[in-house]
Amino acid sequence: MTHWMSVLLSCALNVGIALLLSPLVEGILRKIRAAIHSRIGPPVTQPYWDLLKLLGKEELRSTGGAVYASLPALTLASVLLLATLAPMGGAAPLSFAGDMIVVLYVAAMGAVLIILCGFSSGSPYAYVGSSREMMMALSVEPTLAIALSVGAFKAKSLALGSMTAFQVENGPSISMAIAGIAFFVALQAQAGKLPFDIAEADQEIMGGPLVEQSGPRLALLRWAIWARQLVLAFLLVEVFLPWPRFGVLPFDLLASAVKVLVVLVIVALVDVVNPRVRIDQAMGFFMRVAISSLAALAFAVIGK
Amino acid sequence: MTTGNERTLAAVHELVAARSKGAFVSATQPHADTLHFVVDRSAIRSVADGLVQQLGARFLISVGTDRRPLSGDFGIAHFFSLDGEHLYLVVESPIPEDDLRIDSITPVVPGADWAEREFQDAVGVRAEGHPDPRRLLLPDDWPEGLHPLRRDFPYNFRPPLAEKRQPEMREAPTGATVLPMGPFFPVLEEPAYWRLFVEGETIVGCDTRLFYNHRGIEKLGDSVLTYNEIPSLAERICGICGFIHSTCYCQAVEKAAGIEVPRRARYIRTIMLELERIHSHLLWLGIAGHIIGFETVLMQTWRIREPIMWLCEAISGNRKTYGMNTVGGLRRDLPNDVGPELLKTLAGVEKESIAVRDAIIGDSVLRARTEAVGKITKESARSVCIVGPPARASGVAIDARIDHPYAAYDEVPPRVVTQDAGDTWARVVVRVGELVESIRLVREALAALPEGPICAEIKNDIPPGRIGISVVEAPRGEAIHVVMTGGDNRPYRWRVRAPTYANLQAMPAAVVGGTIADVPITLGSLDPCFSCTERLETVDRRTGAVRVYGHAELLEMSRSRDVRGGAR
Repeated sequence: MTHWMSVLLSCALNVGIALLLSPLVEGILRKIRAAIHSRIGPPVTQPYWDLLKLLGKEELRSTGGAVYASLPALTLASVLLLATLAPMGGAAPLSFAGDMIVVLYVAAMGAVLIILCGFSSGSPYAYVGSSREMMMALSVEPTLAIALSVGAFKAKSLALGSMTAFQVENGPSISMAIAGIAFFVALQAQAGKLPFDIAEADQEIMGGPLVEQSGPRLALLRWAIWARQLVLAFLLVEVFLPWPRFGVLPFDLLASAVKVLVVLVIVALVDVVNPRVRIDQAMGFFMRVAISSLAALAFAVIGK
Repeated sequence: MTTGNERTLAAVHELVAARSKGAFVSATQPHADTLHFVVDRSAIRSVADGLVQQLGARFLISVGTDRRPLSGDFGIAHFFSLDGEHLYLVVESPIPEDDLRIDSITPVVPGADWAEREFQDAVGVRAEGHPDPRRLLLPDDWPEGLHPLRRDFPYNFRPPLAEKRQPEMREAPTGATVLPMGPFFPVLEEPAYWRLFVEGETIVGCDTRLFYNHRGIEKLGDSVLTYNEIPSLAERICGICGFIHSTCYCQAVEKAAGIEVPRRARYIRTIMLELERIHSHLLWLGIAGHIIGFETVLMQTWRIREPIMWLCEAISGNRKTYGMNTVGGLRRDLPNDVGPELLKTLAGVEKESIAVRDAIIGDSVLRARTEAVGKITKESARSVCIVGPPARASGVAIDARIDHPYAAYDEVPPRVVTQDAGDTWARVVVRVGELVESIRLVREALAALPEGPICAEIKNDIPPGRIGISVVEAPRGEAIHVVMTGGDNRPYRWRVRAPTYANLQAMPAAVVGGTIADVPITLGSLDPCFSCTERLETVDRRTGAVRVYGHAELLEMSRSRDVRGGAR
């Protein structure tokens, strides 16, 4: 009984962080962008107001169908599911239900749902955006998988918790550093930040898969994207940078939160100093990243 | 400056005479830098071909004129430039009223494409053999056979309502899908419809429909306004290069009437023109950054640009639309104490512009994103007759400030920046180079600014029947104004060609073979200005009715607090 209670509680904690704090993080990132632009920028709470405003609007759909109607909610749900499978400060709440492989699948699910949303919305821009999103997903996923595999290889376990524990115990290593950097680059793309916001590319295809989305539907999709960047940043921090570990949940949570913020600030900095690359350039780039991250695997094999 | 030495003049005469054989009518030299030929229309294509192929002339613009009240016929004049010789060549053909057609020169001079379609629409002279004779500037629901620039077409005439019609667009080739860009699209500040034919991400073709925003400017100029009212309207052709258009118009009238502009006025015009180039290029850099998602460039360049706008306000009272030009010179001198402030602002802008230039030149991602994108070869640049930075980035070293010096550019000549690659990156490099060069020019002009009057005294009426052609190197390229003087203290015909008009015609060739991601930046790298390009009618979108607002009405509307009945 108490076991299930604690599982439920920690699920609620992770979901709560992903849902309630992701707009705040987005607000902080907007402030940083603004500072580099020499702007004052919107208040950090602006993303909450954006969500509230969008949620209060009329729901308009370009096409019918129950599946299409439920796609934004499903997308957000998939990200929240990811939050329960990822360690965020403490152990992953549903770690008994799935390991690294499940995390990779659930992480991919969000992208697939957004792709479906675009393909089924009947707009040529969304169509182009979705095919770009698909190409990006296909080029980024291997990097994520290889990076996490390095952790798995070292810890001799597919469980994320064991990887964290191994890292805490054995300290930094060359292989995990390389894998961490590869994961970071993949995060930049997964968060839809420049130079990889190719699928949305407002100036080319007007938001790509999201072009036909408005009101509550757009709110849920935006929320899912913000929550995803936060959860993936937690995953990066927990697996590749778990130090220091206090063993007391509030402290660990706080330490992770600070590290996550630092990681996302770097993401934002990369975002503001880069133009958007073309899809072929991005795919070539991620192919090279994936190949380089194989080096991490090689280092792991020789025990570095 | 030597204008057209004897040998060149003789060569031109000889060529026109040889190409027109029995169709040669007359040759005159209305100004030292202008040769005017009248040939029968049967020889027009052959003459145009000879001028371009044998003498290397560059096509500028065509002007269709309804001359029925004067000589009972229509006139089609093609304007060419012999850049190295500082010469304009005008080849004109009379067109009898009962047989309104002329051979198209587009098959031999591709750059004449739009110009010929425009006179087809505006005065109704058919260009026979034109490869693409679709409508260019009249709305799709405009009745057939109604030509707004004819003299018997009242400026405030409203054509009957027509049924809703689609633009005549080309279909996608088999296997390709249509991706519409516009008429309203995030990176297009103004309406333009680019119909892209794509296979996956690759562009295999492109069709365009523009001219959604005609404003009746040329018509107002030759039917309602007077010589000295037109500069205010000309300045409003464009929200960025307004001073360029008012200068260009004034110069055309000054040339036609033989008015000598005081030296101080020419220097102040130079300073204002270069200030306009500085703020326009900074504006463009920001927009180019925005197009490829580089918002930091947008925010920073526009911040750097702002002091220039304040400076213009200190000089003229307005950030834009200075209202300084008038026929014969200027209406307003520089403020007495503006010199030190100007130099201080320029120093600040120069420092930051150089920092931006170095950051941009050194940015490898930016370079990877723009290199080999939207390539315009030198041959294509020459045949489509593009102008300004896009031409110079393709290795065509033309610059109106050097080729047809005006204002004070004969005394403070610019250094022309060129590149050979012809891609978007080259256009970026050319513009950032020009930005820094313009700052130098303002400084030099200010240092050499002579004392004296700022406006010529005009004692006599401007005689009718004269022709004046003037070019100004706008930030986007060469703007052309042609004025044919008339009675009633207004031009008989006033023709405006903005640089974007020439440059947009290179767009389809530049994007084919590229990807969707390259289209916005390719278009952006031409720095298009649609408002400049579109000059004809105001159309109420709800009813399709054409309406031109009069002076009193505009005044009433702008003063009235209740704007519900405003121009929409």
